[in-house]
Amino acid sequence: MKILGNSYLELLELMKTKQISTKELHEYFLKRVKKFNKDLNAFITPPEDVVTEGDMPVAVKDNFNTTGLRTSASSKVLDDYISPYDATVVKNLKTSGSYVFGKTNMDAWAHGSSTETSDYGPTKNPWDTSRAPGGSSGGSAASVAAYLAPAAIGSETAGSIRQPAAWCGTVGLKPTYGRVSRYGVVAMGSSFDCPGPITLTVEDSAYILSKIAGKDEYDATTSTKSVPDYIRALKSPKKYKIGIPQSYFDTADKEVVEKINEAVKVLEKLGHSVKKIKLIDPKYAISVYTILQRAEVSSNLSRYDGIRYGNDRSNFGEEAKRRIMLGTYTLSHGYYDAYYKKAQRARALVIDDFEKAFKEVDLILAPTAPNTALKLGEFEKYPFFGELMDILNEPAAVAGIPAITVPVGKSKENLPFGMQVMGKQFDEESILDLSHQFERETEFFGITKELLKKYPD
Amino acid sequence: MKSKKLSKKDVEHLAKLSQLKLSAKEIEKYEKQLSETLDYVDNLDELKTKNVKEAHSVTNSKDEFFEDGEENKRGLDENKVFGNSKKTMNNQFVVERIL
Repeated sequence: MKILGNSYLELLELMKTKQISTKELHEYFLKRVKKFNKDLNAFITPPEDVVTEGDMPVAVKDNFNTTGLRTSASSKVLDDYISPYDATVVKNLKTSGSYVFGKTNMDAWAHGSSTETSDYGPTKNPWDTSRAPGGSSGGSAASVAAYLAPAAIGSETAGSIRQPAAWCGTVGLKPTYGRVSRYGVVAMGSSFDCPGPITLTVEDSAYILSKIAGKDEYDATTSTKSVPDYIRALKSPKKYKIGIPQSYFDTADKEVVEKINEAVKVLEKLGHSVKKIKLIDPKYAISVYTILQRAEVSSNLSRYDGIRYGNDRSNFGEEAKRRIMLGTYTLSHGYYDAYYKKAQRARALVIDDFEKAFKEVDLILAPTAPNTALKLGEFEKYPFFGELMDILNEPAAVAGIPAITVPVGKSKENLPFGMQVMGKQFDEESILDLSHQFERETEFFGITKELLKKYPD
Repeated sequence: MKSKKLSKKDVEHLAKLSQLKLSAKEIEKYEKQLSETLDYVDNLDELKTKNVKEAHSVTNSKDEFFEDGEENKRGLDENKVFGNSKKTMNNQFVVERIL
């Protein structure tokens, strides 16, 4: 049977109809990991040889605590840390029949947009191994794109799911803040962090979200709102009024803009209406995010003392140290008002700006990233570069709204582009529905299947 | 753009507050890089934020509490709690002398 390129739900169907067993599926993906991971470095803890629980494999980013399996967050500080408990997301996956198929590489502590700050070496972009996969969930995105796993879990603070998903040509969903529990995820920016799926199809994304979302008494910021049937939402497609914010297009490369404009035409053809809207320039969201996130990082990373678990603070890498110090500065006496408080006020403006926009339109559409995957090493030249790469992701993160990225074709250099659809808080159904309609119409221009020619069985 | 350039002394102080040991080369590098970032975020001065209420939560979530006597179902036993520590004695963590 041909397994290559089947979506998570297609494989689940094959399993339900007893055309394939968990053992066969596991061995299939394990063989692919053994064949391609040495080139891609998508997994830092490869899957175990034998499945002991669950039916369906899901790769999990290394910042999710997994019982008995190393959780390093790609940092030497946690090099030998074995979690005594499962993150709620992992627990929910296990309860719904999935199991952890290896731990994927990431920027250390999720600090970065290229997976190059990992203490275990960078992940390579499957489209071009001289390029970065994006980050911080680069290992998760690369593993799905090259079909080393049928689906993966990533986490996003601002762009860490969407940007690598776009650069690797996959579907990446950042849910609303509080839709999915952060319990057991190595904390980075606690007021931003959102776990979410990286998949080959929108339907897979909807399915996995429905399994991991919901109230968790161990994360007080999770919402009590009931989790809708996301798959059902895809079965009754709606027409939407889509907002196009010019300021998001001004910062993107010409080729990116052209591709997104073509995608907009597809959506218009499908009967959706399009309206130009004005949003606060995303460059301000970078500042809000940088100040608040660094502050939260300095606080969250203060717990790593090497006493209770992990190694001491001399093991922090360059990026983590840079962030801790900036956060310490902006939170310190005399600077708190000028930075932290001001950023929180500006955050309120960004939230308000989106709320106003969503009175005019149902959804907002923009490029996911200003450009396609960069060469490995480019990021190192500019310490602040990662944030600038995430410019189009940071406003949604700052406002806590959901957003999904889907592939919209590829560049002359044969690299994939992503288009993101942002929605109102807790309206994951609409962003999934619109991107699913786009997928059915275009099949993402066949780019997923095209890449797999490079990674045959 | 006005510069908030941090001095070498500032960076040394921040490193101390952050419990980080930095080399002379690192201090020099961070002095420059952190100042650049601080210059960038000055763009917030272009927004009218003076009379805006700070956003403490993006989803207006409220404080939540455990009820007294409620069982913590995910509590860990001693073996698990101390399992990852490099230095323990009689089920206690060993730390350096403070005084």
